Amino acid sequence: MRFVAAFLAVALCAAAPPGPDFRDIGMEAGLTASFPNGGERTKEYIIETTGSGVAFLDYDNDGYPDIFVLSGNGGTNRMYHNDRHGHFSDVTAALGLTSSGWSEGVCAGDYDNDGYTDLFVTAWGQNHLYRNVSGKRFEDVTAKAHLAQDRVRYNTGCAFLDYDGDGHLDLFVANYLKFDFATTPKAGSNPYCFYRNMAVNCGPRGLPFETNLLYHNRGDGTFEDVSERSGITRAEGHYSLAVLAQDVNDDGLPDIYVVGDQTAATLFINQGNGTFSEEAVIRGLAFDENGRELSGMGLASADYDGDGLLDIFRSDFSDERSLLYRNTGGGQFDDVTQAAGLAHNTRFVNWGCAFLDFENSGWKGLVIVNGHVFPEVDRQHIDIHSRDRGQLYRNTGKGAFEDISEQAGPALLVPHSARGLAIGDIDNDGTLEILANNQNEPPSLWKQSRRAPGHWLLLTLAGSRSNRSAIGARVVVTAGGRSQVDEVRSGGSYLSQNDLRLHFGLGAAERADSIAVRWPSGANSVLKDVAADRMVTINEP
Amino acid sequence: MMPATRLCPAALVALALMLPLPSPGADPPVEQGVAAFQHGRYSEARRLLQEALKSDPHDEHARAFLALTDAATGHCRDAGPALADRFQHSASPDLARLAGLALVQCLVTEGETAAAVPLVEQLQAKYPDDADALYLAARVHMKAFNDATRRMFEKTPSSYRVNQLSAEIFETQNKFAEAAAEYRKAIAKNPQALNLHFRLGRAILLQSHGPESLAPARKEFEAELALNAEDAAAEFQIGQILNSEAKPEEALPYFQKALALSPDFAEAALAAGRIRVQAKQFAGAIPLLEHVVALQPANEPAHYSLMIAYRNSGQMDKARTEQQVLQKLQHPPEGEFTDFLKRLGEKAPDK
Repeated sequence: MRFVAAFLAVALCAAAPPGPDFRDIGMEAGLTASFPNGGERTKEYIIETTGSGVAFLDYDNDGYPDIFVLSGNGGTNRMYHNDRHGHFSDVTAALGLTSSGWSEGVCAGDYDNDGYTDLFVTAWGQNHLYRNVSGKRFEDVTAKAHLAQDRVRYNTGCAFLDYDGDGHLDLFVANYLKFDFATTPKAGSNPYCFYRNMAVNCGPRGLPFETNLLYHNRGDGTFEDVSERSGITRAEGHYSLAVLAQDVNDDGLPDIYVVGDQTAATLFINQGNGTFSEEAVIRGLAFDENGRELSGMGLASADYDGDGLLDIFRSDFSDERSLLYRNTGGGQFDDVTQAAGLAHNTRFVNWGCAFLDFENSGWKGLVIVNGHVFPEVDRQHIDIHSRDRGQLYRNTGKGAFEDISEQAGPALLVPHSARGLAIGDIDNDGTLEILANNQNEPPSLWKQSRRAPGHWLLLTLAGSRSNRSAIGARVVVTAGGRSQVDEVRSGGSYLSQNDLRLHFGLGAAERADSIAVRWPSGANSVLKDVAADRMVTINEP
Repeated sequence: MMPATRLCPAALVALALMLPLPSPGADPPVEQGVAAFQHGRYSEARRLLQEALKSDPHDEHARAFLALTDAATGHCRDAGPALADRFQHSASPDLARLAGLALVQCLVTEGETAAAVPLVEQLQAKYPDDADALYLAARVHMKAFNDATRRMFEKTPSSYRVNQLSAEIFETQNKFAEAAAEYRKAIAKNPQALNLHFRLGRAILLQSHGPESLAPARKEFEAELALNAEDAAAEFQIGQILNSEAKPEEALPYFQKALALSPDFAEAALAAGRIRVQAKQFAGAIPLLEHVVALQPANEPAHYSLMIAYRNSGQMDKARTEQQVLQKLQHPPEGEFTDFLKRLGEKAPDK
């Protein structure tokens, strides 16, 4: 009997799939340019701390996601075309995307419904709307689209969403604070310019607040600023960064959740009449479990516990917990960070984050990249560092996460001062890659050395009555006796854009029983008995 | 006779400058004497004030400023009785305050910290919102702390208390690794001393931002409980560690034990209440959270948790009331500090 038990144990060990093994293939893939973003040993101004985002988007509709990386002052944003076979080419100049200044965030969506994904880039200074011209070039239509701003703004996160259901993508832009080099106090000049007894760049506390922006798409290529009329500007006193636009209360209308630095998060619930009501506190999304305002950096959403409701993760500052909010239904959330096993690591300043099923198990794990805003922290010789490793959590499938950062391959262990993060499948093999923007370094592109073991589906949604990008479409995939839910989103993470395609791991299931889509227009469609391990395009009926 | 130590005259002048001058029509030598004092012309001030006292020995300002002049020129012992008299008996609250502040400074300068302590208490009682009185109180108590610390290091250098105090000082400097090392030395010297294991456990938690500190910290809290089985704080800390390890069911008994030992332990009641809320045991959770807000009406985490508990149990009206309480606590009325914050961002860098 003892022999049998031992044999079984060995057999079980042998059957266990190996864990993920992420390698940084950025340099060999052609992502060799470094992206300047403020000082490396010290940062004199807060503007040097917040940038910048990254994006996966298929700008030329060749079926392979391309890469867009934003730069701080002294460099240019760069578009890299996916040449397949694991290589990318810098096509920035050819596409007309050469830029200067402090770029912050990026979001994608087909705002003119011409079938090509457009880009919006936020900046300290002037934002840019780049219209994708047939996948051949991008045209800066900012002024033409009435999106030029009348003053310097510190724009951060952004998201396209169709808040009024007219089939045209509107645009939300978060604003951090009022900043200019001439009047911002110098390091150490007031109590808000110190960190751990060191003089550091000032803010955000002590710097004037700014309000967020909502632009309505008129459907004729122009936008109208409806920030006041919609009630968005009534939420004052927030240093806004990341944006998550999705249907938070499951009423079929897209809502807007915004996290802010050192201030309460805001949740704009769509009233269905062109206005929004700010309800973050009562819905449990404003604070941590102590009712404290933390420093929200990035945002991600997934149904981590498989109950059919989209939960929310937010990344926060060091000495704070990054928070997991469990959706308990009806748009109410509980802070379950401790119960989910995510309360351990408070040494990191977390930024870009995403839920992803890196094993195709059917349970979405979590990836986070890190880096401190005060490089001076290295002088303290403590366990908080200016550059830090990434974090990877495996979803146990039992409502909790397990930290496997140190067993997930060498890529995660290399310290960077990372900010934006996006996920996408660069080679369409069903195993997701991770892209991160590292300040003053080339970006990271993390790829697993072997394919994820489970089965998968990669869904491209195309709207007709709804916006062409299908942003806001809610998808439920049922396979192997379980249902998984997700939504097509613009923006998210930290000032970044994930691949607009939706990825589902199916575990051992070789087929999906059904794929149900609730389109932003209100239409519904269902695909039955879909074979796994392939990409599927679903058109709105 | 010149005393061995001198009082910093600038400090007194700075205080005196805030004092209203003698009323118009006062004896000119008094007015001129006060003005001379305020400009640091002490010889002239002394001459003028003595002259004034000759004509009116009871002149309040002349007596007070003559004593202040003595103190400012290092004659604290000469000034002391007059300052004490003015502090206790002056009809002018401003003069009494100034005399008291000067007297305390004199005593500290003379090394008579112990004598200064009761005066500081009186000053704080008479002028509870006075920045100068509070500042002097902080100085006096710091001096007393430094004196006692120095004596301890001199008289009992090998005592475990020296290590304990060193550890506590390191803690105030956020040097938790150094603090932990000192606590370990103290424990080695006196393994039976209470509270050392607890403080060590806390320092271990504070020095790290990762899960690796949880097990060693828990060991110390358990060691504290072995010495003192009724230490509610140690029970609470173990509960916190288990909670952080995503083991709320195991944490709850520790919080409950802490509460049994110390029924008004607000943090323990809050933690237990939250675990019950997550378990949807609202009937057990809400009384605990209501108990906390009754104990500590300004406890923001408790109001927030109570709001969530009411909301999750379907009592939306009560939830919204708690939300309003929380909002009031988090957004105090507009005031000087808020204005200061608003101005910060608008200041030119050279200002």
